[in-house]
Amino acid sequence: MAKKEIVNTSANNDKKLRIKDLIFAGAFGAIYIVVMLIIVMVTGVVPVLYLMNPLFVGIVCATIYELCVLKVHKFGAALILGVLFAVTASSGYLPGMFLAIGVAVLAELVLLIGKYKSKKFFLISYLVFNLNMVCPFTNLYFNRSSFIAMATEYYGENYANGVAALATSWMPFAQMGLAVLGAGIGVLIASKLIRKHFEKAGIV
Amino acid sequence: MDLTFYGEETNGLISVDPRTKVLIFITSSLVCVSSFSDLGMALYSVVLCVLFALCGKPLTALKAGIALGVVLFVRAVMGSSQGAPELIVMILTLVTTSFMFAFPPIMSVLLIIKTTRISHFLSAFQAMHVPVKAVVPAAVFFRFLPTVTEEWNGIRKAMAFRGISLSPVQIITHPWRTIEYVLIPMLFSSISVMEELAAATMARGMDIDVRRSSYEEVKLRAVDYLLIVLFVALFALSAVVGEMVKNGAFL
Repeated sequence: MAKKEIVNTSANNDKKLRIKDLIFAGAFGAIYIVVMLIIVMVTGVVPVLYLMNPLFVGIVCATIYELCVLKVHKFGAALILGVLFAVTASSGYLPGMFLAIGVAVLAELVLLIGKYKSKKFFLISYLVFNLNMVCPFTNLYFNRSSFIAMATEYYGENYANGVAALATSWMPFAQMGLAVLGAGIGVLIASKLIRKHFEKAGIV
Repeated sequence: MDLTFYGEETNGLISVDPRTKVLIFITSSLVCVSSFSDLGMALYSVVLCVLFALCGKPLTALKAGIALGVVLFVRAVMGSSQGAPELIVMILTLVTTSFMFAFPPIMSVLLIIKTTRISHFLSAFQAMHVPVKAVVPAAVFFRFLPTVTEEWNGIRKAMAFRGISLSPVQIITHPWRTIEYVLIPMLFSSISVMEELAAATMARGMDIDVRRSSYEEVKLRAVDYLLIVLFVALFALSAVVGEMVKNGAFL
């Protein structure tokens, strides 16, 4: 019986998530989060750039996401990546975390519509997935006074006022727009890079 | 190469269960957003450093502790002197604050990475009946964080070797090139590491849905219960103090 299962793993039409796929998802999650944290730390110094992070992260991290879902090709890759992201990036604020997980589920559904075959849906799903970059900021929108108090306490009046002035009621929508825009640019780069490097090497 | 980079738990004074470490990671990330004062953060960070030393990594703990001390000193000096130039104060505040803010989560992740063997992590969570589909990605995630850092160092050296600089000017003037030069080698080498890891787990028969036996002894000891109580209490304390600071009733 064990032998049969191992044979199954190499078959392409295997629908079940195997240990190999779990390893890929976890490892790509680590890469995704390290790259994201580097970007956030570098841009976090300036309030405007800090709030524009969904754009930058979308542009850079799209390639990692696309490789992950292309490599696994099954239900679950985007979801695991999304949950790891939610737990590490927005664990400080529970509603934000659940929103991030919800976004990952939506991205997975987009992949499901494409039946894990259509290249177009792989690319579109990242436009949805990248919305999770807005979720760590939900603390700022839903829980505004507390966030501003924290920023004042930690960063001083100037920085807090800077963030408060920028975080107006249309800011979440602007961030969502930036997230989709960033993901769009990122996906274009990703498909180019994947065609240029990874398809040639026979990795995806 | 630093072989102790990945987890091992040989010479620690106490050995802590992986589940306790994960709990400490959760309280650490909660403390950052609920504690509104330096005092709570500092207390929590110091306790974390002591735990790190007890788990068999006194050198890392000492380095982190000294860095923490310096940052706290700078913050105390800034608070007491008024006439300093505004720009310097702002830059220092940003740097020290980012440090304070990131200290507990980073230290607790390091605690998991440096002092836990992956097999111990796996067996502890499987004993808790957490499904394999949740445990394996989490274990691989923690296993892979040092790998990514390692690869990144290698890539930086290789780029310097070929005369491609990673200065901010280069990044701003050639953003696409920078992305390609950094991401592609990192992904290529990471993928080969993943393939090897997958092969190794297959060889150990992880792919079969049966309950696996393990040499690891999985048990929450008195130390674990003590640590759980201690860290939850510290978190509650800093949250309460934070609430008081927020409402202006304190300091």
